[in-house]
Amino acid sequence: MMTHRRSLLLGAGGALGLSTLPRFAIAQGDNRPSIAIAVQKISNSNTLEVLREQSNVGERVLFSSLWEGLIGRDWLGGLGAVPELATEWKRISDQVVELKLRPGVKFHNGDEMTAEDVVFSFGPERMFGDTNPTAQGRTISVSGDRIPTRAGRDLPAEVPAVARRSWPALERVEIVDKHTVRFHNATPDVTLEGRLSRYGSQIISKRGYIEAETWFEWARKPILTGPYKVAEFRPDQVLRLVAHDEYWGGRPPLREIRFIEVPEVSARINMLRSGEVQFACDIPPDQIEGVEGDRRFEVQGGTILNHRLTCFDKNHPQLVDPRVRRAFTHAIDRQAIVDSLWSGRTVVPKGLQWEYYGDMFVADWAVPNYDPAEAQRLLKEAGYKGDPIPYRLLNNYYTNQTPTAQVLVEMWKQVGLNVQIEMKENWSQLLSREPGRAVRDWSNSAPFNDPVSSIVNQHGPNGQQQQVGEWSNEEMNRISVELETSTDRARRKQVFRRMLEICEREDPAYTVLHQNATFTAKRRDIGWKAAPAFAMDFRAGNWKG
Amino acid sequence: MLRFLSLRLGRSLLTLVLVVTFAFVVLRLSGDPALLIMSADAPPEAIAAFRRAWGLDDPLWVQYVRYFGAIFQGDLGNSMRDGRSAISLVGERIPATLALTVPALLIKLCLGIPAGVYAALHRNSLADRAVMLLAVAGFTVPSFVLGLLLVLLFAVQLGWLPSGGQESWRHAILPVITLGLGGAAVLARFTRSAMLEVLGQPYMRTALAKGVPWGVAVRGHALPNAAIPTVTIVGFMIGSLLAGAVVVESVFSWPGVGRLLVVAVANRDLAVVQAILLLVAATMITANLVVDLLYGVLDPRLRNGMRGTA
Repeated sequence: MMTHRRSLLLGAGGALGLSTLPRFAIAQGDNRPSIAIAVQKISNSNTLEVLREQSNVGERVLFSSLWEGLIGRDWLGGLGAVPELATEWKRISDQVVELKLRPGVKFHNGDEMTAEDVVFSFGPERMFGDTNPTAQGRTISVSGDRIPTRAGRDLPAEVPAVARRSWPALERVEIVDKHTVRFHNATPDVTLEGRLSRYGSQIISKRGYIEAETWFEWARKPILTGPYKVAEFRPDQVLRLVAHDEYWGGRPPLREIRFIEVPEVSARINMLRSGEVQFACDIPPDQIEGVEGDRRFEVQGGTILNHRLTCFDKNHPQLVDPRVRRAFTHAIDRQAIVDSLWSGRTVVPKGLQWEYYGDMFVADWAVPNYDPAEAQRLLKEAGYKGDPIPYRLLNNYYTNQTPTAQVLVEMWKQVGLNVQIEMKENWSQLLSREPGRAVRDWSNSAPFNDPVSSIVNQHGPNGQQQQVGEWSNEEMNRISVELETSTDRARRKQVFRRMLEICEREDPAYTVLHQNATFTAKRRDIGWKAAPAFAMDFRAGNWKG
Repeated sequence: MLRFLSLRLGRSLLTLVLVVTFAFVVLRLSGDPALLIMSADAPPEAIAAFRRAWGLDDPLWVQYVRYFGAIFQGDLGNSMRDGRSAISLVGERIPATLALTVPALLIKLCLGIPAGVYAALHRNSLADRAVMLLAVAGFTVPSFVLGLLLVLLFAVQLGWLPSGGQESWRHAILPVITLGLGGAAVLARFTRSAMLEVLGQPYMRTALAKGVPWGVAVRGHALPNAAIPTVTIVGFMIGSLLAGAVVVESVFSWPGVGRLLVVAVANRDLAVVQAILLLVAATMITANLVVDLLYGVLDPRLRNGMRGTA
């Protein structure tokens, strides 16, 4: 009996030792720090799949820790295109781009990335489903190998729709050799390289996808190439990433990153101050002074690739006359909003465009100037009699949204516009076609470095404003097609300028208020720089613990 | 008794149907899940595809009939946001919520009832006033304010406890105290009022006049009679075990049923909201039924009344 009990104890002790010692040894051997980050939201869609998570908050956890594309972004530079999983690329024709893949890239499951993974990433099983590419209204049939996968069988319907919006005319991806691929588009497109760098064009492991039991299982633990891999994802709670030590860009500087979902801003700041997290994201501008009042912490961040707009419904009886909408745009003192509500930490941009457009950026463009007298003149000319104009408003969906709306209403009132705020709970109430839709808020981003990604995508014939029936303009729709398909860069820039004239001056669809900004509070002693984006870069070059 | 139970059961089923119908109509008329889950920045084609895939483009009454038909087959549907079955999603969160609400209920009972009894027995004393002062404070300070104050003191200033999350038992301490103190204050006030009323009843005077010792009179006559309103409140508290921590779970980032409900309502994730509402309604109805039966145990007059209806 004694022998039996002793052997049991020895066995249990041995098992305990075996289960704890190696872990301890690993922990001792890996002295990289682990960090925790408090975020308002980890993912709106409860997945980590770029083709389903279509929100700004998703960008934070998905880039640049997990997902990587053939062409990446210089997160800490000007967000320009940089080689990522492709080392070089060249144009074969107006419709074809050839890319050389980076050799030796390892997925999170240890597989080497090859041209097959690239083709699969852009294939029907993962991306396009049953949809076909279209070009100028023409449907192009595609014949491709359909590899039956369990995940592909329950591909959510919205995924192919998102993919087709990003790649409306992509015909096929051709394997030239193990490390060379060619992207064939159905129409001439100068933005193919830009599309390759956009959100949603990243590369996945073919084997990782095929082996997943369901699509959602895949989407919660995707097998990718980024410097960190998913260890645990509990939607609405926590995302735990661990270092991917075979990362092609060098050993990641952190052992583990935990994104903890903390909806309340005060709770996020308290977690930072109590030392439970090293970073607290989504800090409103009015809290920055309070956080930095404690010398242990600083707030980083600033403008991002996103502009705040006020949108108009030109079908509303008071807004049919473009002069009334133009009066709206001239009555806004945008700099006053930036100075008072953002403590000067953002800027008034040059209309709906960003400098990273490169030679497509219209440098001499500007938002309508603040000119109350001109606004009053336009209203008088239009015969506006002070009838009420509803302003459907969400409660701080955007940072500072409600105070901005209150300031705007007062500014509009100064010139004689009778704008009345109507609080709404959500987007479907805001966009509802019921009578009474006139003014509302929105924000626009540019997923890649060309105006096609923004002004056409959001205000063109397939954009949200026209799809919900708020606004439409025949000339805008005609030149949208030209901007998408023309390869004449000078003409394209001319067309883009004309679009700005139509949408922001002649027949206002919207007016830009200011560039958006995001702020992250962190421990001052951590050497880390925020990108001009939601994305947080924790690669080797951006960490000094 | 059987008739009493059948009536209560029938009424309970009707309540459940009304709860489900009301939630369906309100949620579906006040927001489009496709737009909320996919976000306003998603391409219109993606939003349309989402609607088609989940049958959201069918007429409302078709969706309602389909939903109800599925419920009768025991299928509460899948989360539009998560892809998994709503009941399993909710089931995963129940232990986390009970880990807060059950200890909080014990605090409420152990602190609130004795404090109320003590205050009533020492009416107008310093102790009575102190207990009532604390009870009023606990009753009126909203839980999110109390929670933040506790975090500031114990997490930020003293660094003794974590301020949020759910990684160890220590993370539960502040939310449990926040929930417990507010409820204890409510119970203390109700118990005191009930006790004071009973202590002034003629049968108490009679008992004391007959020479029954004070302690015996209190235990034998006052406490059982004062228990009825207290049991009613406790019944409500038990009924809200599953959804009574919505605010506290949000303040402390505690991943329980309450937080799931907030997220599901915001996204109009109908199946999940309905699963939670059904569960909460069922718990509340069961708790009320048990309270009704307890009335009979506590008060013989009511017991006889129930027999009378059988």
